[in-house]
Amino acid sequence: MSSLSASKVSSAPALDVAVRVKDLGLVYRTTLDKRPTLKNRLHRITKRRRQTRIVHAIQGLNLDIHYGKVLGVIGTNGAGKTSLMRMISGIIPPTSGRVEVYGKVSTMLSLGVGFNAKLTGRDNVYLGGLAAGMSRDEIDEKFDEIVEFAGLGDVIDAPMRTYSSGMYSRLAFAVAVSLDPDILIIDEALSTGDARYKVKSLQRLQEMRGENRALIVVSHAMKTLKTICDEVLWLDHGKVMMRGEPTEVIKAYREFLHVGTTPETDEDL
Amino acid sequence: MLEYARADLHQRQYGTALGQLWLIITPLALAGVYYLLLIIIGAKGGPERFGHLTGTLFLFYLITNSITSGAKSITSGNRLILNSAFPRLVLPIAEVLIALMRFLPTLLVYLAIHIILGLPFTVQMLWAPLLIALSLFFAVSGAILASLINVYFRDAQNLLPYFTRTVLYLSPVLYTSADLDDRLRFLEVINPIFPILDSWSAVMVRGEAPDLSTVLLALGWSLAFFAVGTYLFLTREREFAVRI
Repeated sequence: MSSLSASKVSSAPALDVAVRVKDLGLVYRTTLDKRPTLKNRLHRITKRRRQTRIVHAIQGLNLDIHYGKVLGVIGTNGAGKTSLMRMISGIIPPTSGRVEVYGKVSTMLSLGVGFNAKLTGRDNVYLGGLAAGMSRDEIDEKFDEIVEFAGLGDVIDAPMRTYSSGMYSRLAFAVAVSLDPDILIIDEALSTGDARYKVKSLQRLQEMRGENRALIVVSHAMKTLKTICDEVLWLDHGKVMMRGEPTEVIKAYREFLHVGTTPETDEDL
Repeated sequence: MLEYARADLHQRQYGTALGQLWLIITPLALAGVYYLLLIIIGAKGGPERFGHLTGTLFLFYLITNSITSGAKSITSGNRLILNSAFPRLVLPIAEVLIALMRFLPTLLVYLAIHIILGLPFTVQMLWAPLLIALSLFFAVSGAILASLINVYFRDAQNLLPYFTRTVLYLSPVLYTSADLDDRLRFLEVINPIFPILDSWSAVMVRGEAPDLSTVLLALGWSLAFFAVGTYLFLTREREFAVRI
């Protein structure tokens, strides 16, 4: 069994490949109770009820992600998108197969990234940077730029529990891109910002693509995916349904869902 | 880890003068309450008794605060765990660091009480850093184990206050090991905190060298807890992201 504490990034680059996923599988056991407690466990034991269920989140997945490209990932809820992103980021070790990552990964997996709501925005910027391997001097150097991009001003010194979801999102994005990642993963995390922030963040993503970085964007915002992605991957029940040109994959996905092109299915990033 | 602990303390206002004062007043008030209890029940002992009570109580709370806060470290750090790749052990260990930072001012309070009570200062007090290190080792082991249990049984943390109170009564805080009835001597062996507090009292209150076998017993308990705790933690941490 692999340990998270021992997870490492591969050092040998493989041409222009940023991430290589081989026969990847993720199976985990989870409790049937929403909140696992000793009381519920004992209750189930005395009633001789099933305690856990097994989830096959990802099954035999193969994938190469290249530098200078933007890969969009789509799929219904529970398709395995977030599990895949977490495995690429090293957050969850795979049950089978392997993930090879050739570069520094920065993640923005859900609202707030790894922020601690009790702490101020400033504390979280420093903690996030230090956790990502930056030195205090490096963070000092980028701090003003992060605050300016997030448009937070003096609010940066307020506890993050007082932030709106848009402010959370802006700071999370600013921190994620400031880490100068080779590979940036964004999982449904940009939807809460206002129009100005969306334009700004999409511009930044385009710049990063121009800088030969690899971007993976998980989203339900089909219109935006068509605009920024070079390729789209469609996942369903942990398996690849289709991969290719964004327009074609999105069309097939919509047909699969029996939905047309509507404002709801085109919802913005 | 240190930055995390520092930021957490800062958030709790411990960076301010009033916050620092609170760190000192709270344990002192607690020691006062327990001393009042000892007077009411007619316990013997003068200054040395109060010195023993305050010294051991402060160390006891270093250990139990570490374990109590450590228990919640994984479940309350769910955002971090779900979104960042880092060794999960950092979270319970950071809680022990926070407890240590809260303990250090109380150590100064104890030294002031030690002087006021006219208790002896001897070279044997140099054992103190080793005993603090041993306490931290046990606290880390306990925090790791408690954090793991809390992932699987969220109601376990509701039992912790009762558990802590029971361990307090089974430890040489409100009494000394010399006061123990022979029938209760087994507590010295089966309670992992007992040998740590007993040695601490010998060194800090009486200025005597600790009994080597007592220190070794404390080390043995700590090693056993550390081995079991870290093994279970490291083999289970891959599940945390899907359990919390």
